[in-house]
Amino acid sequence: MGRQYEIPVGAQHISLLEPLHFKFTTENEKIIKTDANVYYVHRGIEQACVTKFKFRQVSFVVGRVCGLCSISHTTAYSQVAEKLLKLEIPKKAKYLRMLVIELDRIHSHLLCLSHVAENSGFEALFMKTMMYREFSMELLEAVCGNRIQYDFSIVGGVTRDLRTDVAQQILQRLKTFMPQLDELVGIYENNWTLSLKNKGVGVLTREQAMQLNVVGPFARAAGLEVDVRNETEDLLPWKEVGFEMITDTAGDVHARNMIRLREIYVSIRIIQNIINGLPEGELVTETKAFPEGEATVRLEAPRGELFYYAKGNKTQVLERLKIKAPTFSNVAGMVKAFEGNEYASAPAIIASYDPCLSCTAR
Amino acid sequence: MKKIETTLEHLRKDIAAFYNPGLHHFMVMNAVETGEQMEVQWFFADYAHPCETTCFYALTGREDEVPSIKDIVLSAWVAEAELVDLMNIKVENTAKGFVLEPDFESGPLLKKK
Repeated sequence: MGRQYEIPVGAQHISLLEPLHFKFTTENEKIIKTDANVYYVHRGIEQACVTKFKFRQVSFVVGRVCGLCSISHTTAYSQVAEKLLKLEIPKKAKYLRMLVIELDRIHSHLLCLSHVAENSGFEALFMKTMMYREFSMELLEAVCGNRIQYDFSIVGGVTRDLRTDVAQQILQRLKTFMPQLDELVGIYENNWTLSLKNKGVGVLTREQAMQLNVVGPFARAAGLEVDVRNETEDLLPWKEVGFEMITDTAGDVHARNMIRLREIYVSIRIIQNIINGLPEGELVTETKAFPEGEATVRLEAPRGELFYYAKGNKTQVLERLKIKAPTFSNVAGMVKAFEGNEYASAPAIIASYDPCLSCTAR
Repeated sequence: MKKIETTLEHLRKDIAAFYNPGLHHFMVMNAVETGEQMEVQWFFADYAHPCETTCFYALTGREDEVPSIKDIVLSAWVAEAELVDLMNIKVENTAKGFVLEPDFESGPLLKKK
């Protein structure tokens, strides 16, 4: 048995992009135990949503839960409020929500990939990935008006229509991006130094992912077929626009990279299908009703399953709002997947989890 | 959403009888204030029946200790730790200080009296 050390990482650390604290217990260089704390960024958003804001305003508040997956939060909240109001929204609004969710997934996945490259010591690939990601930010701004925190989904529909010139711009930019994506896949798949840092590292098996209820690309990379887009056809018609489940079996950092890259191809296809088949019609269904009863909604955010619970009491202000972010579900898996790895691999493993503590602690 | 009522006494038995990691995905715990009581909820998604959510719930007093299910659902410790901090609920073998700092006053999401 080697000598044991306790190594704290975070809340501020060069390899952490989020305020998260890990305490690694290592035996020489090998991690044998991990403790985690997420207590740095609780902002009381759920409480604000049921005390300070009317239910129609809440979609703008929850858009601030996370800068990266803002559209997932506003859409999930809008859907749960619509369930309480028994409101059916126009099909065009559903399509536009899916369009922005998929554009958001592209930029979020590329951001995660760039950080894995950076934390694996491949600065040039970090810069290249971030450079290629820029088009998705510009398209989100063109569609929503903001690069981040786009207040696009509202209770009853969406705030903006898709202009014809913006639709053409999206198709054109996606066409330009495809060879760039192929290039990224080639590098992440085959680069020898990156494979040394990523292959066989931070492994979570399918059995562990299932037992620990892991979600998103983290779970799919382990072979667990969980994608809310496959399970919630009642809210958004994902299969109609070309959704396809992507899974891998290795469960390591490399598999997570490849899952995200392959999912970008699916997102591109979904966006093209949405634009080519965008229905005509209204953007919003109006109602003067007040939310009543209880409802839940699940939505596949870039990091995995986002869950909203709301309870209404027939007034302007909700009785209770509960938000469960994907990273929250992944904490148990994150702690597990460090075990048995070298401490030097921790930065790449952390980045491959794509943790978002802003969402988790709210 | 399918709601199944249980009690703190029968909670572990009911969830153990229901939960199969191959069929169900544990999502989160929640608590809703209902006057002097709390409605504590455990949410599961069902792989076999997409779009379906199952919610076990139990009504508890403010001082009651909620049994832990982390030996049945291995990832439940995260949700239990969150409720201890944010709703000031006592959960068996769960200390405060995971979502909020240990010296922070528990229960920021409780309604102000």
